[in-house]
Formats: sequence, structure tokens, C-alpha cells
Amino acid sequence: MSKNNGAALTLSQVTKRFGDTPVLHGIDLSIAPGSFVAIIGKSGCGKSTLLRVILGLEPASGGSVASDSDAAHARLIFQEPRLLPWASVAANVAVGLGERGDGPDGAAAARQALADVGLTGKADDWPSTLSGGQRQRVALARALVSNPTLLALDEPLGALDALTRIEMQSLLENVWQAQGFTALLVTHDVGEAVALADRVLLIDAGRVTLDQPIYLPRPRRRGDPAFAALEGAILERLLDASVSAGSR
Amino acid sequence: MSDKRNSETLPLAWIMPGALLLLWQASSSLGWLSANILPAPLSVLASAWTLTLDGTLPHNLGVSAARAVAGLLIGGGIGFGLGLLTGLSRISERLLDPTLQMVRNVPHLALIPMVIIWFGIEEEARLFLVALGVFFPIYLNTLHGIRNVDPQLIEMGRVYGMSPRRLFRRVILPGALPSILVGLRYALGIMWLTLIVAETIAAKSGIGHMAMNAREFMRTDIVVLSILIYALLGKLADSATKALERRFLRWNPAYRR
Ligand SMILES: Nc1ncnc2c1ncn2[C@@H]1O[C@H](COP(=O)(O)OP(=O)(O)OP(=O)(O)O)[C@@H](O)[C@H]1O
Ligand SMILES: [Mg+2]
Repeated sequence: MSKNNGAALTLSQVTKRFGDTPVLHGIDLSIAPGSFVAIIGKSGCGKSTLLRVILGLEPASGGSVASDSDAAHARLIFQEPRLLPWASVAANVAVGLGERGDGPDGAAAARQALADVGLTGKADDWPSTLSGGQRQRVALARALVSNPTLLALDEPLGALDALTRIEMQSLLENVWQAQGFTALLVTHDVGEAVALADRVLLIDAGRVTLDQPIYLPRPRRRGDPAFAALEGAILERLLDASVSAGSR
Repeated sequence: MSDKRNSETLPLAWIMPGALLLLWQASSSLGWLSANILPAPLSVLASAWTLTLDGTLPHNLGVSAARAVAGLLIGGGIGFGLGLLTGLSRISERLLDPTLQMVRNVPHLALIPMVIIWFGIEEEARLFLVALGVFFPIYLNTLHGIRNVDPQLIEMGRVYGMSPRRLFRRVILPGALPSILVGLRYALGIMWLTLIVAETIAAKSGIGHMAMNAREFMRTDIVVLSILIYALLGKLADSATKALERRFLRWNPAYRR
């Protein structure tokens, strides 16, 4: 895997409305190249919308998103693997390469990406024969095969069991360290955010209400008292946000 | 496991038809069953042999098969094309689909008197009926298949930068294929049925014509032979679609064995 520079992002006064419903209210953010940013917040607060606006899949209603890298080098991983059931695992990974995936060097790159996520022997299998965790690894390989500068992940591990989740988290941390892309991870799991991110953003009612840097050394251990203290504090803020939202 | 099941059920499955055939032959040989009602299996076999030798059977078989294939290609081709058009473009759907759905309610065989007035009993009449018959199942299932492609996969294709052409080849067409093949299977059934009717009512050649001709001379053996050949052709067409399904839907656990 070649080491790529991560994309730097600057959001200024980004707003988003669906019809008359405001979802994002003036988000200002500056994201350092190669950093790992986790986004948390209660359901419906606009996390997915924020990711989609950043990736240009939804136009912003106001404000601007600037990136020093072009949109073709950004990749999104969905909550579901979204593999093509009629294509082999290797062909699914090659989807990440676009037209280049049709050639022999595309096939080689796909196999390399599969090896990077620990699925060397599965290249010629059908997706339907894989486990849920393996399918999400294929989706990760598909996103990484084109050496993205920005990787956005929208609750990619939400459907996995606890053990597979932890395995996938360390896999994600490893590929991020190896490739150097900028990672934006939306998650419901505060522990996951603290384990992986340099910075945790809490979104509430369309605004960033907490911007918490995480300085813990890697690899992080969940049993660690500093880890637990941070996780507890962020969880507290998340619950506060939910309560105040509920009483509004 | 499935091999073992096959080897066990296969001989069992053949016992009943075999016994019936024996019973039939015995009743005919013993004179319980008049040849005017039902000919003996052996005399059906014998007439198959003589008609093959004098070229009548191969000729009529070829004529019928050519009609079936031509009608399928014309009607199926148009149905597939229009199905793609309405499936991929909302405007075409709103423009065409309501009309087609309305026309669909007319049983195509009810048009036979009209078709004879238009085309007489020429080749076009049969082609028109077969093409019309196979059109709807292919059209409807193509449209349905495209409409039911997982929208999450389509979104994935867009996010990963697929051009519309590539999206169609890689996502939409393979996603719609199971439904299209179901349509093809229906169409093949309708194809033979239409051909039987069209050939028995208005034709100067073909298996149906051979049967009607034989009826005039009370050759029940040839009538039964024609019926069996239609059954065989139907079975053949069905096996062909099954083979297509196994080839193109290998990825689907339901078709993989
Ligand atoms: N395409 C759309 N049209 C209309 N409203 C939308 C659309 N997409 C999202 N919304 C609304 O925007 C709000 C935020 O949605 P979003 O999907 O961003 O939430 P989320 O934070 O990702 O929630 P979750 O954690 O449940 O995934 C919701 O109220 C939702 O109903
Ligand atoms: Mg979401």
C-alpha cells in the first residue's frame, strides 16, 4: 500500500435544509490532513447528512466545503457492505478502481487490497458465501483499493457482533496508519470513537456542541483509566444533549 | 448429498410412468382400447419412425421450431427493449406503461379471427400471434426486474463513480436478470401454446398442421405423436431456461447446487 497524503477539509458556515426542515445549522470545521475524526450524536441529528454534504453527494444549502484534494479521491463506506452479489469478491473490490479495475493491473491491485484486509483466499468467492464481518472487510478493501485521500465511514461496524467489531476497529486503525488518509467515522459507540479518533465531534441539533481532542497513545487499551474517564465524560455530554433535545 | 438423493429418487420416479405405459400398451394389444380412441404406444413409435424416414416429421418440426424462435425473437426483443425503456426512464413509463397494461388484458388468442382477416393463414399470422404472446411476460418482468434492483446498490455505484452505462452493465442489468429469466420462462410456455393453437387453426405446415391433417384420416397415432412432440419441445425449452439460470444466476444461492 502506498502512503498517501490525507485530504485537508475546511467547512465554513455549512447549512443544510430538506425542504423546510433545517438539519445542519452553520457548521464550521477544519480537519487536519491524515487525522482521524469521529462524529457522534443522537439518531437523526444529521451525522449522515454531514458526511454526504462533505463528500458532495448532497449539495449544501449554504456555506462551503473546501478540500485540498479532489472529490474523486474520497470514498464512503456504508453501514451495509453493499456488495454486488453477482460479482466475485475480487470484482467487487475492483469496483473501487472504476474503469481501471477492468485491466490486469486492476485485478492485481484488488487482490493486494484483499490481502491488506486479511481476505487473501476469498478473491474468487461469491459475497453470499462470506460472513457479515468478511463482507464489511470486502467493502473496506473496495474503498481502500483506490488509495483515497478521504475515507468517510457511516456506522460501518454497527451491524457486527462485539468481537468482530473490535477486530475490525484494529484493522481500520492499522490501514489508516499505513495509508495516511483522512478518516471521518460516524459511530453510535463512544468507546469506538475514543479508541480510534484523534478528535471526537458531538453533533446536536445540527451544531457541533463538543470538539474533544484525544491524546491517548496508540494502540489504545479500553481498560485504561484515562480511556475510561474520557469515554465517561463524552458519554455524559451525549446523554445531556439527548435530554435537552427531548425537553425542547 | 443431492447426488445421493437423485440416485435414490430417480428410479422411483420412473416406476409410475413406466407402469402406466405398460398398462396402456397391454390394453391396446388385448383389444380393450380401440385405436380410434387411443393408439398403442408402439404404433405411435412406429409412425414416428416412418414419418422421420419419409421426411415429414423433420420438415414439420423444423417449420414449427423456426416459427417459435422467430416469434420469440421478435416479440421478446420488443418486450425486452420496451421493458428497458420504461424501467430506466420515468417519462417513457408514464407515456407507455398505462397503455401496455391495458392492452395486456386482451387475451392474444382472442385476436385470431382478426389476425386471419389481416394476414390470412400466411406465415405473418403465426408470427404475429407468437410475438404478441411472448411480448407481455418479457416486457412486464424486465420492467419489474429493473424497478426492483436494490437502490442501495445503485447509490453505491454512483458514489463509486460509475458512468450511467457502466451502472447499467454492472448493477442494473445483472440485478434485473433473475426477473427477466422468469419472464422468459413464462414466455416460452406461451410461445408453444400459441403455436399449437395457431398451427391447428390456420397453417399449411408444422406439427399442428400435421396433427390436423392426421385427424382427417383418423390417424390417431400421428395425432398423439404430435401432442408428444409439443410436450417434448416445451420440456426442452424449459430445460434451456433452467440452464441459462444456472449459468447466469450462479451467484444466487437459490440457483447453485
Ligand atoms: N433525503 C432526505 N430528505 C428529507 N429529510 C432527510 C433526508 N435525509 C435526512 N433527512 C432528515 O435529516 C435529519 C438528519 O438525518 P441523518 O440521516 O443525517 O441523521 P443521522 O444523524 O445520520 O441519524 P442516524 O444516527 O439515525 O443515522 C433527519 O431528521 C432526517 O429525517
Ligand atoms: Mg445516519
